[in-house]
Amino acid sequence: MTDELRNRLSRLDPMSSDVPTEPVTTESSQQLLEEIMTTPNVEQPGSSGTPNKRPWIAAVAAAAVVIVAVGAVGLLSGDGDPIAATPPLELNAGGEDVMASCIAFGVEYLAPMPVAFEGTVVSVEGDAVTLDVDHWFKGGDASQVVLNAPQGMEALIGGFPFEEGTQYLITASEGNVNYCGFSGVSTPEMRAAFEEAFAS
Amino acid sequence: MNSDIERRQRFELVADQVYEPLQRYLRRRANREDAADALSEALLTVWRRLEDVPSDFPLPWCYGVAKRCLANQRRGARRHLRLVERITTEASTSPSHEIDDPVLEAALSELSDSDQELLRLWAWEQLEPREIALVLETTPNAVSLRLARAKAKLESRLTRQDSSTPGQKRDGHNEEHRP
Repeated sequence: MTDELRNRLSRLDPMSSDVPTEPVTTESSQQLLEEIMTTPNVEQPGSSGTPNKRPWIAAVAAAAVVIVAVGAVGLLSGDGDPIAATPPLELNAGGEDVMASCIAFGVEYLAPMPVAFEGTVVSVEGDAVTLDVDHWFKGGDASQVVLNAPQGMEALIGGFPFEEGTQYLITASEGNVNYCGFSGVSTPEMRAAFEEAFAS
Repeated sequence: MNSDIERRQRFELVADQVYEPLQRYLRRRANREDAADALSEALLTVWRRLEDVPSDFPLPWCYGVAKRCLANQRRGARRHLRLVERITTEASTSPSHEIDDPVLEAALSELSDSDQELLRLWAWEQLEPREIALVLETTPNAVSLRLARAKAKLESRLTRQDSSTPGQKRDGHNEEHRP
């Protein structure tokens, strides 16, 4: 009975042995192993230790982030109405990411966010990431937004890397960029969620 | 210098054994990209903690590492993808096989996450309780008990479903298509 159940369950396995995986002998596998073995053998606190290509995946520390809108128009008021013609407006962060507790993602949580836009990173310099705004969903109409990280780039990143040329969907409240699924690399699924949440 | 070479050799030996099974383990539980990230992370951990890797059968221990890599990934760095991940995981854990046992699939999905995971480790990774215990960092005894309970729950759901045919067709029509 129990063997029968085990067999029956194993037939649900999406990665059963007839699905190919990459053998350890391929060039790219060997390259990966080599890369790992040449990684300095030092535990970095808070680092999850991916050996390559994720320069800023770092601590999930709540980030104090300041959003500065640059360009002709200021950013937003608390209830999301654009404020006209204010020079670069600084929205301070009180230190803690308001979404630090990471409630489950849902369109219904997204909708109340006062600031939401889609933008492409044009520069990552020092402690500032500049995005050209491609689309405002809510809360502003500036052509560029600068994300500032007074506590350093890792704090700003708050878990996801900003890379030049990549498009992101960003929400913020009270000047803080929200992580935890409320901001991230733009994908069709995420954009659809934004469009649904901010459909007026 | 010599010990460096030995260390590398030992790692390569472990990697030979776990490289493909780890890919399967991860792809069962995450989308392709996350699985690839978690694989390199897990292997890096194996490299760093090589002295802790059980030499006789490293795989369960390595599954445990991979499990934590996935959990960290989900909890932290890539949390922004939560929604996306959910969509792609759902899409990517099932595309490669047609569900030919929807009754079992449905019964399984009614169990708690931890029961489901126990059953997967048992049936998909083909681990025995003492090995599952290494993955989940608990005792073989606890695993045996919980696994027995999970199996019983699954079986009772299956019997219930078998006795009441899916759907509401209790009017005789379903006699025509018997399995």
